[in-house]
Amino acid sequence: MQLAVNIVVLAAIYALISCGYVLIYRVSRVLNLAHGELMLVGAYLLYSTASLLGGNPLTAVAMAAVLGLLVGVLVYVLLMRRMTGEMVLAAVLCTIALGVMLRGATVLIWSAQVRHPMEALGWSNPSLVLFGDARISLISAILIGATAVVYAALFGFLGFTRWGIRMRAAGQNPLLASQRGIQLHGVYALAWGLSTFTAGLAGMLISLDSSLDGTMTMIGLKAFPAALVGGLDSLAGALIGSAIIAIAEVLLIQFVNPLLSDVVPFFVLLAVLVIRPWGLFGSKEELDRV
Amino acid sequence: MPNASGYFRTSLDQDLVLLDTRTQKVSCAVFCALLLFVPFVAKPLFIDIANQVFLAAIGALALMLVTGFAGQISLGHAGLLAAGAFTAGILFKEFAAPIWVTLPASACIGAVFGLIFGLPSLRLRGLYLAVSTLGLHFIVVYLGGEYETRRGFSTGIPLDPPSIGGWSLDNGRAWYFVLLAFAAGATLFSINLLRSKTGRAWRALRSNETVAEALGVHVAGHKLLAFVISSAMTSIAGCLFAYYRSFVSVEAFSLFLSIQYVAMVIIGGLGSILGALLGAVFVVLLPYIVEWVTAILPLTASISGLIFAINHTVFGVVMVLFLLFEPRGLVGIWQRLQNYFLLWPFRQTPLSSER
Amino acid sequence: MDAPETILSVEKIEVTYHRVVTAVQGVSMTVKRGQIVALLGNNGAGKTTTLRAISGFVGMDDAQVSEGSISYKGQRTENRQPHEVTRLGVVLVPERSKVFENLTVAENILAAVPGKKSKSQAAVAYEYFPQLVRLREREAGYLSGGERQMLAIASALVCAPELLLVDELSLGLAPRVVADLIERLQLIRGELGLTIVLVEQNATVALELADYGYVMENGRIVLDGTADRLRSHDDIREFYLGHVQGERRNYRDVKQYRRSRRWYG
Repeated sequence: MQLAVNIVVLAAIYALISCGYVLIYRVSRVLNLAHGELMLVGAYLLYSTASLLGGNPLTAVAMAAVLGLLVGVLVYVLLMRRMTGEMVLAAVLCTIALGVMLRGATVLIWSAQVRHPMEALGWSNPSLVLFGDARISLISAILIGATAVVYAALFGFLGFTRWGIRMRAAGQNPLLASQRGIQLHGVYALAWGLSTFTAGLAGMLISLDSSLDGTMTMIGLKAFPAALVGGLDSLAGALIGSAIIAIAEVLLIQFVNPLLSDVVPFFVLLAVLVIRPWGLFGSKEELDRV
Repeated sequence: MPNASGYFRTSLDQDLVLLDTRTQKVSCAVFCALLLFVPFVAKPLFIDIANQVFLAAIGALALMLVTGFAGQISLGHAGLLAAGAFTAGILFKEFAAPIWVTLPASACIGAVFGLIFGLPSLRLRGLYLAVSTLGLHFIVVYLGGEYETRRGFSTGIPLDPPSIGGWSLDNGRAWYFVLLAFAAGATLFSINLLRSKTGRAWRALRSNETVAEALGVHVAGHKLLAFVISSAMTSIAGCLFAYYRSFVSVEAFSLFLSIQYVAMVIIGGLGSILGALLGAVFVVLLPYIVEWVTAILPLTASISGLIFAINHTVFGVVMVLFLLFEPRGLVGIWQRLQNYFLLWPFRQTPLSSER
Repeated sequence: MDAPETILSVEKIEVTYHRVVTAVQGVSMTVKRGQIVALLGNNGAGKTTTLRAISGFVGMDDAQVSEGSISYKGQRTENRQPHEVTRLGVVLVPERSKVFENLTVAENILAAVPGKKSKSQAAVAYEYFPQLVRLREREAGYLSGGERQMLAIASALVCAPELLLVDELSLGLAPRVVADLIERLQLIRGELGLTIVLVEQNATVALELADYGYVMENGRIVLDGTADRLRSHDDIREFYLGHVQGERRNYRDVKQYRRSRRWYG
């Protein structure tokens, strides 16, 4: 029973992170390998706002989330905007460089010490007892809820709102989108903003549940196979990919070897790439496009 | 050095000569003499840096072959280095094998991994390939870590300095000559490989796979060959690295190392042997430069503990700057300088900026 | 009828791709309000490039108008982003990839940013192309060629164009469909007061529809005139309309001759 809960929590974590990969890839065809670092930045932002606004934990969380969105937009406007029209590879390398930079910058700004945003917020993280003796921490429960809300909102946004449809249109055919009056830079910036927002959210919740230091980027990187397994351009795929990876990871850690933790997602990834390179739900044309 | 004007080749033999004009021969000779002379006057620290440059150069050349020429992206370079280093370490620990066994063994293991790394490239392109090599990196590192814990070398595998024909490689100067020889060998090998049929096939592959196939290039075979050759070279570099540090540990082969190698190729300039060498020099020197700069700045005391973070930040910034403003890398700058002096007093206006 | 105002004037533009390849050179044309102007020429003559230059290039085209100017209603529009040009009222119906294939018809219409002129532009689109209503939920990738072209024009109408640029209206479509589309286009033009620039390979179709025509070859304009004049021009009759009188001439000879004539002034 506990195992099932662990799987669900891990799946939710991966899903919350991987939707950011999907969002950016789908809209601008860029693979954002700095996603883990952006997650880290989001978590540190929460730590800062929590230290500043100690009395108002909710305001601190909201402010950190908004700041995360701004960071994403800034990253696009200052950096990735210049990479539009360049080779896809150059853009990806650019995100790698950005990741290295952010990694260094977070240590410079917030030092390499392990932080505990939970204490800074003045909250506690009681563990709840579920049916059948399974336990789940409050933050993990909130995380599952947040993932559900984020996915529902994204599905609704992309499927039914004008701007969501425009985002999909821009991802599919940027030239035509521009000719139909859609401002590409605006749409891309929005995608980066949303993606960083969700990454920041994931970072915050994970750091609230445990602690905060540079190793968090590894979780971000491990969520990437989840996005790819499902198919990089499919949100539903990301959800299912996360579930697959979480199941594999939890079971293998439990029954085979705890050291496997960092490798399992990549094993699954390679297996999928060999069998079905475009992912379980992705469109096949994607392969030729890159 | 390009020929300014009025020099034509009239036979195949002339075209095959590596060093063509007298200027080239003289400058090359002077450069080699300098390289051989340096270790007798330089400080140990400087020799150590030079050795690191040579090691990095072998790896960068290997990556340049596969990425810069064959056009296949690999983010798993650190994994291959690790494969070479661990082959050396394991063979030494388990069978007390000497270097003339471990080095070829590393190359073979590297080639096998290259084959495995290369397999995804048959079906995948671009991003997806990068991602699968990234995955393989983690798997290789995991296997290394698994060995370390199983055999109880949780902090790493120590290695004795190797000896070649009774000559023990236990100081920086001895290593300098060995590594210099290896780096020079790798450079010559790469240059000649690229002038051969294989090299031309790789370039064709990079420009357009479909067209290359239509022209009779065996696409799958050449892709795999690129990975195999590159991986074997990288593994040799990894093996030498293990002996040079006399220590093997998974911590040394992080993702950051892969990124550093990619950065060497980018900063140096994709598609150029000289670029790989320049990139290796630049990336190895960068942390020392950062250290030196921070040391002369007045705020040393407060940031001495953060040197690692500063390195990361500077590294990222430099990489971004190159990607944004000088996509052709150091080689591009070098060529522009060269043209400036060759054409002086005239100004060169480039017809196009190559993408 | 007093002389209508000029709404688009293209002055001696030169377009270069990748900063080296010159695609069109010294192209000038003027379009008056309410006119239908046809741009004729064979493959690679530079028609599409000219049209794209008017509607704007995006970064990945790696193209630019390197000389000359384009002005629309007195505003300079060369080297602007397509979305800005579209918001001014110059809307392109491109030749290929003219619809968002993975989006449904309804979403295609929604994705276009409505122009400022009227609020319910989406309704306009369905009004002129009632067939689309039935196909609303269908993915655009599954439409037939004719339906695609309708959707492309319909979604262009959403942007409230004053000047509609149509690239290859008849390409790959059955003659009956083309006839239907032309009829529809003329209706729309009459009711919405559109000005249209057509790019066509099919000179018969184009000259039937247009008031004025430009003929392009090798990236330059070699002939222009009213549709009637063009129709009666010998070269046009022979090489574009296919009416042969007497001995057939070699197209290349005529082309060579013209080129050398221009060369010597």
